[in-house]
Amino acid sequence: MMLELLKPRSWFAPPHPLITRNREIFAKFDQSRPLTEYTFVVCDTELTGFDLKRDAIISIGAVVIRDLQIDLGATFHRYIRPKDITHTQATLIHRITPQQLAEAPPLEEVLPAFVEFAGSSLMVGHCVALDMGFLNKAARKILGGTLSNPGIDTIRMARGYRRALSGHFHGEDDWSHNYSLEALSKEYNLPAFKPHDALEDAMQTAYLFLFLLKKFRKGGLLTLKDIYQAGRVGSVWS
Amino acid sequence: MTAFKENDVHAVAPEVAISFFKGIMPFDTLDEETLRSLARHCRIDFFPKGTRLLTADVTELTHLYFIQRGGVKAFLEDENGEVTLKDFRGEGAYIGALAIIRGTPANLNIETVEDTFCFLLPRDIFLGLIEKQASFAHFYLKSFSEKIVTTAYNELRHHKVTRRSNEDLYLFSIRVGDLVKTLRKVAASATIQEAASLMTEHRVGCLLIHDALDAERIVGIITDRDLRGKVVAAGLDFQQQVQTIMSSPVQTVLSQSLCFDVLLKMMDTGIHHLAVERAGKIIGVITSHDIMLLQGHSPYYLFKEILGQQQISGLYPLANKIPDVIRGLIGEGAKAGNITQMIAILNDHILERMLTLLQQELGAPPVPYCWLLLGSEGRREQTFKTDQDNAIIYSDPEDEAQAQAAAAYFKAFAAKAIDHLVNCGYPLCPGEVMAVNPLWCQPLSSWKHYFERWVSEPDPQELRYATIFFDFRAGFGEAALAESLRAHLNRHIKGRDLFLFHLARQSMETRAPLSFFKNFIVERDGEHKNRLDIKKQGLTPFVNFARVLALKFGVNETNTLARLKALRDGDWIQGELWSSASEAYELQMQQRLVHQLRQIEAGTIPDNYIDPADLSDLERRMLKDAFTVIERLYGVLDQMYPVT
Repeated sequence: MMLELLKPRSWFAPPHPLITRNREIFAKFDQSRPLTEYTFVVCDTELTGFDLKRDAIISIGAVVIRDLQIDLGATFHRYIRPKDITHTQATLIHRITPQQLAEAPPLEEVLPAFVEFAGSSLMVGHCVALDMGFLNKAARKILGGTLSNPGIDTIRMARGYRRALSGHFHGEDDWSHNYSLEALSKEYNLPAFKPHDALEDAMQTAYLFLFLLKKFRKGGLLTLKDIYQAGRVGSVWS
Repeated sequence: MTAFKENDVHAVAPEVAISFFKGIMPFDTLDEETLRSLARHCRIDFFPKGTRLLTADVTELTHLYFIQRGGVKAFLEDENGEVTLKDFRGEGAYIGALAIIRGTPANLNIETVEDTFCFLLPRDIFLGLIEKQASFAHFYLKSFSEKIVTTAYNELRHHKVTRRSNEDLYLFSIRVGDLVKTLRKVAASATIQEAASLMTEHRVGCLLIHDALDAERIVGIITDRDLRGKVVAAGLDFQQQVQTIMSSPVQTVLSQSLCFDVLLKMMDTGIHHLAVERAGKIIGVITSHDIMLLQGHSPYYLFKEILGQQQISGLYPLANKIPDVIRGLIGEGAKAGNITQMIAILNDHILERMLTLLQQELGAPPVPYCWLLLGSEGRREQTFKTDQDNAIIYSDPEDEAQAQAAAAYFKAFAAKAIDHLVNCGYPLCPGEVMAVNPLWCQPLSSWKHYFERWVSEPDPQELRYATIFFDFRAGFGEAALAESLRAHLNRHIKGRDLFLFHLARQSMETRAPLSFFKNFIVERDGEHKNRLDIKKQGLTPFVNFARVLALKFGVNETNTLARLKALRDGDWIQGELWSSASEAYELQMQQRLVHQLRQIEAGTIPDNYIDPADLSDLERRMLKDAFTVIERLYGVLDQMYPVT
């Protein structure tokens, strides 16, 4: 035990093998391949609140898009038992009962499973930074490092799409536009899902993403790089 | 990642796919487990408006498409770039089934006409379903299984016609074999008194009579009425043998006949005691009374009231009860063919009773005559309160005096009859094709001349309104006159190809719609309309087709279903075409009846316009298939009478 402590690297816990592999995958990430060659994981997390310090993830839902199609055989949906089970006001708006949470596994079990599920896919979300913020905070703690999966934000894609349609930047007008998942789904006449359920929200986001991606593609944007540049829709995580 | 696929409790099959498939045929017949597994194999794709999904003869299908949101058009393109629209498909429709089943490339070009989301079901999974589930093979191979047709009828009945009370209705479920009572019979050589005491002993109103030497051979029947009329009232010696008063031979029905059909036969023939036969053997008797006991609201009551009416004005309210009877029949599951037969019988009896009473009032006619029914009445295809289409044909008068007397008599007779019919609720014919019009109240020779002219020198303009005359039948009076006219027409029509040519080409003028798309009906030119004229676009093509061929081949029937059957029996049309056409025609008649019944109940005047928004998916599918049958019928006509 004492000898272990003397090793310099052990002062900082080494990252979990999952993180190491995740880093390797994206070390040589290439944005210039055709869109069809990427796999995307569209995810949504349900939170007890938006405070990164105090709030916790209580559910993760995700669906996979490969060959630019939603693969209904590959979905991910787990509830997570929060550390402080009493601090669960958010369950009022989520479709989760306290009972379900009490029976759920802790994040320590769910997160590695999710990282494995995400694999080499790009991470897609509606306001993906919020979800990734919570996931990475947990990843740092549980796995000793953050995820390297590049992210794509459907809100920024929708802004880019709107801009492309009208041919100019809306400026202030754009800020009055409703970019909520529900409003955009309605605007584009997408099939509607029940809100406030991680898997249903992920599915709704996947429809929105597929819609926007294929619209961009019809407009001649064929690689991931094209999408990033046209919409300035995301960033490569670091 | 594969670890999260199959068999993972957390890999829930998304509800979206399951609920989608639960809502469409024939997937709605699958159990939950099969649906879940199937849903997990699906993918969802999005195709922006204007995307080409399939190219005819090129695209190999790796999966079947189901439209979740949006719509597509199907079309063909010839080498000159000429485009023929084939179909529009909306939410819930599938794409590519035929090509997968046949193992060929796509047979149509498919392009999205809106932003479209589709579920993609892998080819092998689909083929597996076709192999394992009988309902799938039926559905996708486009052969209407009995089950789908029944479902369609049930749907029409349950969703569109609400029962007024909880009365249990049996006419269409009970077979006469189940109603028949113990066979009671007596030898033909027994005395009338012996027979009567046997009837009293068994408390029955009729008795079968068997051969004196062979008890198994039924030779006749006697009823209470015979005892009253032929024996007591006539002062006959009741030691006479019973065979002197029996009715013979006995009319029979098969034990498996539905009560409804038996009732129709009784009403049609006026014979109320029928022997029931099973496997060639008489097993008993069924009477109208037995059937009436089944239900309180039988058409039979109305029928009896009509027969018993002594005043013409007493017929008015009775005629207005017909819709009630029809409602009951629809609710009970009667098919349109049966219902229109029942309507025709009731209308015929009203007419018969009315003209009988009228004749009593005006005195006997100077020459025999026949009241002719034309158009839909002639075809026994009236629904609710259709316009009058009638005429009078009378024997050729022997001299000028008789001719004048006949003209005067029938003029007055027709005028009164038409008025009474209006009071009964049959509106006047706007084209004045009625017996009151002197043109259509003529002796046999004039009628022969009319038809000769229509047939030999066809004037397309005139033919257009003359078609209803070709569906004439005897309504009341001397049926032989109508038969003689029909025989004359058949003789005359032989070889008159120009007449049949015009008739055939006119039949093809109304094109069937192409498809349904959302709440619209799509015409062949791609135009979207929000209403379907089910009579003009849906039914008339069948009527016209059957008429042209019936005239060509000398089929005497006027009813469309009967004409089609006669054409099949005569091998003039294929059995498959006959069954598809009959089914499609009858289902549309049903649709029309239900539509009109609902309008009557809502207090509006019945019409033929159906709003596609009111149709269920199944109804749309059945109608759409009916449209394709129409195109096949036109194909037959076109081949017989091509435009050179």
